[in-house]
Amino acid sequence: MSDGADGVLARFAELGKTEDAVERLREAGHHQMKVFSPFPAPSLEKAKGVDFSPVKRWALIGGITGCLTGWLLTSGTQIAYPLVTQGKPIVSVPAFIIVMFELTILLTGIFAFIGMLVHGRRPQVGMSDEYRPEFSVDRFGVFVPVGAGPGRRDVIDVMEEAGAVEIEETDGEREPEVAG
Amino acid sequence: MATAETDVEVEAGYEDKALADANRDILRPISAPSWRYWALLGLVLAGVAWGGYAWWVQIDEGLGVAGITHPVMWGVYITLFVFWVGIAHSGTLISAILYLFRSGWRTTINRAAEAMTIFAVMTAGLFPLIHLGRVWYFYYLLPYPSQRMIWPNFSSPLVWDTFAVGTYFTISLLFWYTGLIPDIAALRDKFRGWKNKLYGALSLGWEGTVEEWRHYRRAYLYMAGIATPLVLSVHSVVSWDFAMAVTPGWHSTIFAPYFVAGAIFSGIAMVITIMVPLRWAFGLEDYVTEYHFGNMAKMLLLTSLIVGYSYAAEYFLAWYTDHPIEQASFLWRATGGYSLPFWIMVFCNVVVPAALWFRKVRTSIPALFAISIFVNIGMFYERFVIIVTSLAHEFEPAAWGMYQPSWVEISILGGSFAWFFLWFLLFSKTLPTISIAEVKEHIAHAQGGHHE
Repeated sequence: MSDGADGVLARFAELGKTEDAVERLREAGHHQMKVFSPFPAPSLEKAKGVDFSPVKRWALIGGITGCLTGWLLTSGTQIAYPLVTQGKPIVSVPAFIIVMFELTILLTGIFAFIGMLVHGRRPQVGMSDEYRPEFSVDRFGVFVPVGAGPGRRDVIDVMEEAGAVEIEETDGEREPEVAG
Repeated sequence: MATAETDVEVEAGYEDKALADANRDILRPISAPSWRYWALLGLVLAGVAWGGYAWWVQIDEGLGVAGITHPVMWGVYITLFVFWVGIAHSGTLISAILYLFRSGWRTTINRAAEAMTIFAVMTAGLFPLIHLGRVWYFYYLLPYPSQRMIWPNFSSPLVWDTFAVGTYFTISLLFWYTGLIPDIAALRDKFRGWKNKLYGALSLGWEGTVEEWRHYRRAYLYMAGIATPLVLSVHSVVSWDFAMAVTPGWHSTIFAPYFVAGAIFSGIAMVITIMVPLRWAFGLEDYVTEYHFGNMAKMLLLTSLIVGYSYAAEYFLAWYTDHPIEQASFLWRATGGYSLPFWIMVFCNVVVPAALWFRKVRTSIPALFAISIFVNIGMFYERFVIIVTSLAHEFEPAAWGMYQPSWVEISILGGSFAWFFLWFLLFSKTLPTISIAEVKEHIAHAQGGHHE
C-alpha cells in the first residue's frame, strides 16, 4: 500500500462532517485521498465516488465455474466409467442437479471472497502509515497526500471548515531516508 | 452486515450509546478468563475426552459395541447427525435470510448464531464418520480418480449429503469470517505484542478504507444471497437421506420443508439456550435485549406451528394413502414400543411452545430459556422417532425389532454436546460475540449521523 506519502491526516468524529470534507476535497481534485471508516457507510462511499464493485463479476464467474464443474464431475465421470446400478440411467439429471447446485454455491462464495480481497488489496503485511487505531473505534480518517506548500494550506482549511477534530501533517513520520 | 440502507427502524435499546462504547463493551470479555471459565472449560474437556474414549472403544472393538443392529441400522448417530445439522440452520437464517429481509434485530445475535452454525456443522460432520465404524474408509465418499476406477454414486443421497454439508460448512465459515474481519481489526488495535500480531494476521491488515468496505459489503451481500438457498437445500438433502428410501414413515414428499422448518425451530431454540447465559456472563444486557428475545420467541412459535402442522399432515397422509403398511407404521409410532419418545416429541415441540402465544411468556427470559431446553430435547426425539420407529416397524412383521442405544452411543451423545460447547467457549473468549461494526452502524443510523 501507500508507503507513507507526505500529506495531511484529519480525524472526524461524525459521519456527516466526514462526508462534507470528502466531497469538497474530491471536488478540489484530490482523488488520491484515503478515507477510513469504523463501520460500513454507503453515503461515505458515494461521497468519495466509489460506487462500483467488481466483486459481482467474481461471484458470477465462480457460480458458472461451479455449475460446470458439477456437471462435468457427475455426468463426465459416470460416462467415463459407466457402472449401471439398479438399471437406472447412467446420467441421471435430477440427481446430478443437486451436486451442480451445491458446487455452484460453493464456488460463488469462494470467488466472491477472493474478489473482495483482491479489490480491497488484502491481505497486506503491516499497516499503512496513515492508519490510526482510532479508525477501528470511533474516528473517521481522511488522508490527503499533498506536499508542503499552498496546496496543503487549502486542504487544511477544508478539513477545518468541515469540522475535523484533529489535523496532523504526516511528514515527520517517515523514515529519515533523505537525511541519512 | 445491515447497512445504512436499512429502512426498517428498530428500537433495539442501545441507540444512545457512543461508538466507542461498542468497542469497549463487546471487547471487554476478551481478557484473561476467570476461574469459572476454566472450570467450565475443564468440564467440557472432560466430556469430550469421555466421548472420545467411547469412540475409541468402538473403533477398537468394532461397531458391535453400539446398539444399532438389524433391523434398526440407523440409531443415535444418524439421529445426532440430523439434530446437529438442524441446529446449524438458524445461524444462517439469522445471518443471511434476515439480512436480505433487512431485519435490523438480527444485528446483535447474528455473530453468535453464525458461530453456532459452524460448531454445529463441525459436530454433525463427525457422525457419518462415527457411524461408519471403520472410519478410515470415509474417503470412499469423496470424488477423486482412484485405481478402482469407481466414482461415488452421484444418484445416492449420501453423496449429495457430502456435497451439501461440505459446501454448507465452507460457505458458513467464509461468511462468518468475512463479517469478523473488521471486528478482528478492532481487536488488533486494542492489543499490543503477540496478540496484536496474531489478530493483525487474522484481520488481513484491514484498515476500513471506503474501498475495502465497498467490496466487503458486496461480497457480504452475495454470500447472504447464496447462503439462503444453500440453507434450504442442506436440510432438504438431509431429509432425502430418508425420503428417497421406500421405508414407511420416510417415503414422503413433505420431508424437505418439514425438515427445514424443524431445523430452524431447533436452531432458534439453541440460540436462545446459548444467548441467555452468554449475555449474562459477559454483561451484554444492553445489546441483546428483551426485544431480541421477543423476536426470537415469535420465530420459535411460528416454526413450532409449522412443525406441529407437519406432524398432523404426516398422519393425514398416512391415512389418506390407504396404504395399510404406512398406516400401521404411523399407528405404531404413537402407540407402540416407542410411544414414549413420540409423546415427548409432541409435548416438547407442540404443547410447550404454545405458551409463547402469551406476551408475558415471550418477554420473560427465564421462561424462554426453559422453553428452549424443552425444544432442544423435543427436536432430538423428533429425529429419533422418525429414524428409529420407521426402521423398527417396516414391511415384514418377522423383521420387526427394537433398538436400545448402548453406553457407547450415549457417551458419544454427551461428548458431542461437550464438543459443541467447547468450541463455543473458546470462541467467546477469543473473538467478539457481537458484530461491533454492525452495532456502530445501527448507532450512527439511529443518531442521524449520516445524511443523504
